[in-house]
Amino acid sequence: MIAAGAGGTVSCEDVSVPEPAARSLPVRLEGVTKRYGRRTVLSDVWAEIPPGITGLVGPNGAGKSTLVRAILGLVRLAAGSVSVFGLDPAVAPRQVRQRVGVVPEDDATVPGLTGVEMVQYAARLSGLPATEGLRRAHEVLDWCDAGQERYRSVETLSVGMRQKVAFAAAIVHDPDLVILDEPTNGLDPLERRAMLGRLVTLAREHGKTILISTHVLRDVQSICDRLVLLVKGRIRLAGTIAALTETAGEELRLRAAGPLEELVAALGERRVAARLTDDRRAMLLAAPTADTLAILWDEVARTGVDIISLEPDRRPLEDVFLAALAAPEEASHAPA
Amino acid sequence: MPLHDVGYRPWTGRLRPGGAAGVIATTGIRLTWKSRWLRRVLFFAWSPAVMFAAGFFAFEQALDEGVITAGRTAIGRLDGLQMIGSLVAESLGGRLDDPAEARRTVWSRLLLAFMRAPQAMLLAVVVGLVAPRLIADDLRAKAWLFYFTRPLSRFQYILGKFGVLAVIVSLVTLLPALALWLVGVLVSPSISVALATWDLPLRIAGAAVAVTLPTALLALAYSSLTAETRIATFAWFATWVACWIAHGALSAADATAQANPQASLTAADNAAEQAARPRPRPRPRRFSWLARAAGIDGSADRWAWLSLFHAQGVVQAWIFGIERRLAAVLPSLAMLTAVTFGSLGLLFLRVDAPARA
Repeated sequence: MIAAGAGGTVSCEDVSVPEPAARSLPVRLEGVTKRYGRRTVLSDVWAEIPPGITGLVGPNGAGKSTLVRAILGLVRLAAGSVSVFGLDPAVAPRQVRQRVGVVPEDDATVPGLTGVEMVQYAARLSGLPATEGLRRAHEVLDWCDAGQERYRSVETLSVGMRQKVAFAAAIVHDPDLVILDEPTNGLDPLERRAMLGRLVTLAREHGKTILISTHVLRDVQSICDRLVLLVKGRIRLAGTIAALTETAGEELRLRAAGPLEELVAALGERRVAARLTDDRRAMLLAAPTADTLAILWDEVARTGVDIISLEPDRRPLEDVFLAALAAPEEASHAPA
Repeated sequence: MPLHDVGYRPWTGRLRPGGAAGVIATTGIRLTWKSRWLRRVLFFAWSPAVMFAAGFFAFEQALDEGVITAGRTAIGRLDGLQMIGSLVAESLGGRLDDPAEARRTVWSRLLLAFMRAPQAMLLAVVVGLVAPRLIADDLRAKAWLFYFTRPLSRFQYILGKFGVLAVIVSLVTLLPALALWLVGVLVSPSISVALATWDLPLRIAGAAVAVTLPTALLALAYSSLTAETRIATFAWFATWVACWIAHGALSAADATAQANPQASLTAADNAAEQAARPRPRPRPRRFSWLARAAGIDGSADRWAWLSLFHAQGVVQAWIFGIERRLAAVLPSLAMLTAVTFGSLGLLFLRVDAPARA
């Protein structure tokens, strides 16, 4: 019997895995290279995906889907190796997939089944008994707020509902690693927020490792801990979101309710460099020191501004993404 | 939000994905059973069994009353049922002086005739209705992403899909044939007949396997080649028809050459061919047309291997002990084996090809 990763309680007698492997890093890629004929889709990719939420971003054709397939052991690599919870997907694909849940980008439905039957089918294919599979299917569909729509045939469901069913099918067997390909595609803002909230819950409260392949950088910035940028089959950028979006000038961003223009003017009079953001809803304070902060508190009190937040300013992820794309190509050989 | 929403809870049970093939098969059967056309065809597929059951009954009655073994087979002296019973015995070539041997021979041939003439044709229709959808629909709906991102091997997937077809095909071939054997036992004078014919259920199972394996795997292989169900259906029926025509044309040419050897062969060639050709078996004395129509006359058919239907017939006749010349069976057996393994190989290459692309 094995115990799953942190927070997970999946156990399985069918699969014998040494205990140290079960505690190992969720995903480790070492020099992964994949070629289709003469075309190299992944080239010497080194990366580690720790517990938490990781965003896998990149332009179309960057090799994201192939990387996901490599993690699942669906493709044969030209070089390098993949390790998922200490297991090699090429050697033990079924054991790996037992601990992984996947939400594909495309509608991957079994024609003729209803939403709940689809999730139950996924549960049974993953090894749950029939009745428990049905109970568990309803439980995760409830959590996904699927409502009575679950009893409709999957072919007739809306895009958002299909996405919920696909997500429920991916997590019904309580996997330790959940891989999602464009999970917020076709969702309205409310649903999108709810979906991201569920991912955060899985990662923070249940210790799951989440890998999101997406183009929506706003989603990545709002929930991801780490980012891996893949361009033309190579990792162009990788690291924590906090580190990647940190500004070089160490500016502070102040969000407040009240007359920010007056505050900026008052600070200017006292020779403290401050400016309003383009949308005029926040103020940036350059090179803060103890003296300038003392002046800031004085002026805030004098002008009657109510501070909402004061935090280090961060670059939008989109700027980081575009800058990385524009940067000259260089190989990444160190674990990302 | 539902009142009973308990949030996300980890699963604390045991995962046993070993039975995935069974899950695929049962789900596939449930989905397939939704087809009203299939249910109609399956219902219709059992109707020939009624006719054959009447044959069993008539034969057993005639045997029981001694009209067969006593040699009293002149039609004028028999009542209707006796006449049918003796006709069945005559046409199927049972030894009339030994009731046990006559029963064994007639039952075997009746069962083979049942599995050949109506059921094999219906089987082609049923498989044509079911099989093309099984994998092609998964390719069209991209369900391969659903399957192959789970702890499921290609073998389990193929086995599951094959299971769907095997169950459906069994409903057309295996189960009615077993039911017929049971009817035969029930209408016979003693239950000890079941012991005397104990091997027949096994032969029925063997004959059903000989039909199911190549047929189902070939149909599944066609289904795996395209996302368009129509194309797979067309390919399936086209194969049956084309093979049948090829077999018919070559057999007819043979028959013509045999009837007029000088037209196409020199005397030496003709003699050589006659020597090479297996000697025809003695045919049943009367009503041989009935045996021929049922495909159980056991005459030499050197082109049988060309046609799936005829090749299966030869192998089934061998399984039932009616065709005893292994040399005559081997080409058909080899062809069915090649179709089985070829289809299996194709399936292994194709079922998760999109995932690897």
